[in-house]
Amino acid sequence: MNVQEYIESGIIESYVMGLASEPERAEFERLCTLYPELVTARRKFEERLEGYAWENAVPPPPEVKVKVLEAIGKSSNIITLEKDKEPPSPMLPKIIAGAAVVLLIAMAYLYYQTRQQNKDLTDTNSRLKVSLDTTRNILQRIVDEQKDLVSNPNVTVVNMVGTQIAPKSSANIYWDSASSNVYLVVKNMPKLPNNQQYQLWALIDNKPKDLGVFDATDDKVILKMKNTQKAQAFAITIEQKGGSPSPTLQKMQSMGKTLQSQ
Amino acid sequence: MAGPITYTEQELVQALKERNNQAFGFLYDNYAGALYSIIKQIITDNSELANDVLQEVFINIWRKIETYDQAKGRLFTWMLNIARNASIDMLRSKSYQNSQKNQELPDNVYREVTNHTIIQNVDNIGLKKVLETLRPEQRVLVELAYFKGFTHEEIAEMMSIPLGTVKTRIRNALLQLRGYLK
Repeated sequence: MNVQEYIESGIIESYVMGLASEPERAEFERLCTLYPELVTARRKFEERLEGYAWENAVPPPPEVKVKVLEAIGKSSNIITLEKDKEPPSPMLPKIIAGAAVVLLIAMAYLYYQTRQQNKDLTDTNSRLKVSLDTTRNILQRIVDEQKDLVSNPNVTVVNMVGTQIAPKSSANIYWDSASSNVYLVVKNMPKLPNNQQYQLWALIDNKPKDLGVFDATDDKVILKMKNTQKAQAFAITIEQKGGSPSPTLQKMQSMGKTLQSQ
Repeated sequence: MAGPITYTEQELVQALKERNNQAFGFLYDNYAGALYSIIKQIITDNSELANDVLQEVFINIWRKIETYDQAKGRLFTWMLNIARNASIDMLRSKSYQNSQKNQELPDNVYREVTNHTIIQNVDNIGLKKVLETLRPEQRVLVELAYFKGFTHEEIAEMMSIPLGTVKTRIRNALLQLRGYLK
């Protein structure tokens, strides 16, 4: 198509001034996307028209501006009011619904948590009961053993007293001559470093016999030691953890002689 | 004055679309006179109604700025057409028709004042001034089409001339007008 001819048809002026028919307008707008020179020509005429309008401007009465700004203010107020008003109606139920959901979740969580806690407590409780029963049984056994020791006529008590290097150390040996069972009750033995333990010995014909190791923390408890049929005396030494094959006599803490020594 | 704020057309359109009141004030101060001119070229004999149209035009610009498409033309062209259309609508409205009757009443001091302004303005402003450079048969067609808002078909019927002739004469007249707009 001949663009120059089209421009010279007066279509641009007709379009810009609003005198073109609807089909003419549509065609012009379409052609503008194809021919940049049409847009350039249109802009040129628009600028001329605008420039002429500015030159021939007629100042309107000032009250018009006041009225316009007033109307704009109102309309923008209405817009903001509508914007402000609009949300509450659809928002409020949403908020309530949202809050209800949150509350429901919170309650469900609380219920679950309470149930879980309850279950945990029940479990702990039954575990404690089992533990208590076990402890009771052990205690009963100890009490029975003690009763037995105290009431048994075959048991002799050997009072171990402190040596010169450990005057305060003391312990009792309960020795059942019939069964050869040896029990030790720590009365007062100083705490030892972790790598050391007390060791009990039976002295038989001046030869030591290992009766086992124990710790100072085992105090006030009846400890079952190794059996011995014979013993003229019992002695406690400090040895390496786990015990020694022969006693370190320099470190003997306490000693008690038996009736067999006489 | 702390120096007037100026906008490029692009910035102005953007600010208006963002509902910037300051930009709207700028728009009014810069364009009201040019638009008032075209309104008064169409509503020649009633300043009160011309004022009403100007007010309506700016309110419509504010409300319809979203529909303004820069691809189709300059902001002023868009506003000019709003002003022209609003003025022609006013010409055809009942309130304008009634005002015409009222003006026929005698001893109307108000009318004296308005008539005075009309006489001052008529044929002297804007495009109408350029219109005088056209041949009479062209001038009347542009007058009817542009300032009275008749369609080409209506004019063809009114003047009893073929539609094609109306169109060609108006187009030629507009091309001539373009030459004067300098």
